[in-house]
Amino acid sequence: MLFLFSVVFTFLALFLIPGLFISRRLSVSFSLKNIIRFFKITASKYDDEEERNGKRGAMGDKEKRAMNRMPKHVAVILDGNRRWAEKRGLKTSEGHEAGARTLMENAKDCFAMGTNTISLFAFSTENWERPEDEVNCLMALFEKHFKSEMPYFQRENIRISVIGNRSKISESLLGLIEEVEEATKSYEGKHLIIAVDYSGRFDILQACKNLAMKVKDGLIQVEDIDEKAMEKELMTKCSEFPNPDLLIRTSGEQRISNFFLWQSAYTELYFPNVLWPDFGEAEYLDALTWYQQRQRRFGRRV
Amino acid sequence: MDLNQSMLLLSSWIGQIGGFGLDLLWRFIHLVVSLWYIVSGIIEAVESYAISLGLNKKYSSINIAKLRCLAVVVDIEEARDVTKVIELLQWLRTIGVKQVGLFDSQGLLKKSKDLILGTIPGSMLSEEIAEKDFSPDQNRLALEFISSSDNKEAVMKAANILLQRYLTSSHPENDKGENFFTETHLNEALRVVGENVHAPDLLLVYGPIRSHLGFPAWRLRYTEIVHMGSLKYMRYGSLLKAIHKFTGVHQNYGT
Repeated sequence: MLFLFSVVFTFLALFLIPGLFISRRLSVSFSLKNIIRFFKITASKYDDEEERNGKRGAMGDKEKRAMNRMPKHVAVILDGNRRWAEKRGLKTSEGHEAGARTLMENAKDCFAMGTNTISLFAFSTENWERPEDEVNCLMALFEKHFKSEMPYFQRENIRISVIGNRSKISESLLGLIEEVEEATKSYEGKHLIIAVDYSGRFDILQACKNLAMKVKDGLIQVEDIDEKAMEKELMTKCSEFPNPDLLIRTSGEQRISNFFLWQSAYTELYFPNVLWPDFGEAEYLDALTWYQQRQRRFGRRV
Repeated sequence: MDLNQSMLLLSSWIGQIGGFGLDLLWRFIHLVVSLWYIVSGIIEAVESYAISLGLNKKYSSINIAKLRCLAVVVDIEEARDVTKVIELLQWLRTIGVKQVGLFDSQGLLKKSKDLILGTIPGSMLSEEIAEKDFSPDQNRLALEFISSSDNKEAVMKAANILLQRYLTSSHPENDKGENFFTETHLNEALRVVGENVHAPDLLLVYGPIRSHLGFPAWRLRYTEIVHMGSLKYMRYGSLLKAIHKFTGVHQNYGT
């Protein structure tokens, strides 16, 4: 009995109580669910081949290996704002507002866990077909969050790039986008790519068009056109890691809906059955655990 | 001195108990997680067999007409086992699928197409079926064999065709090629280089990797993607379930 009590006491003293204070400081939701996720993710981080063979490297090596198994580039299709609002009897605009809040929280968590590039499919070319009120609401949200999050981007040295077709975007939003991009263009290490009026097919076509212009202007020869040349013209050329390692599409839909068609050939596709505003830190940890348990081979034999 | 020793002894005890407690917790969590995976695996297998045996009436009637074209992506390691691929195609034919695209990155299935076509009765290459114009009631299985060369390489060839057209056209100096580089034009150019531009409605991925392994990007716009696990352990029930689930999906195409 005394032994059991001492085990419980030790567990509380060494783990839970300090954890509560730490979680307050780090704003991490502390629950048994998250403890289990933490154990799972830690296990998958370090339980690699060398560990199983009994070769234990220095702590630095371990950390390096763990970081190598973190996705460098995470792409997210933010789906389910409208359904989330509908389920709660709220207006569509409130669903999008909740989605925007989730977006910033997740971006912060994602960067904190060692990801370099995050791409967000915020508004597709097809989204223009939605009701005018909803489109206006989304555009207003972009403006609001670009303004309000600017100090955070600068404080954390996060580079912002907005990709997509800019021809239909309002003057005020366009001005703001250019301002944010200009202010953050020199930052390195963390990169947030926001796709607005983007489609994968449009990306491929504009890359073809850019190559044609370069040939016409005598900058390159027709013979120089290959996959590498094409990739340099895609909109993700702005990123150090143009191809995502992990693509998350929320709300349980299992398709990539015209997002990063060219770039996602060997991207791990994760489709959680969670609406975007409900996709929190615990769900992101789930996605990371899932990703780290996969084996990426890029079509080659191992 | 005695007090010092007893304190050291006490702290080492606490350390040992703490270490043991955490080790116990660690093992318990591992056990719970492992059990969860085992139980969910068993439930999945039982459900799959129930579907195969027709015990689950929900899956007995599938609106197969909704699935116009299905694509199967097979991991390179699994593509070596052609017998499994043939078995899968026979199941698809039984379910009533009319058009199937088979993809592996290195074109192993392309090389085995004669064997596959010879083994499955009523199967033909999709381009042959298009040419011969069979009546739809005939029990034909149209097969298309796809590899990595049909992906980015094919888009590059098509882009080159558009580029040549653009450069040889009498375009004004300020023309930015808007009228030459459209989806319609690229689709047409892909057909010229011998590519099928028909987008599959459903993509089934077999293998350990949860990606589409380089399936032609241009054709994946609104395709439903389902990971089916290893081809070695494929089950008829799982296949039926995936197709049934697809027929219930509603797409609003971003609107």
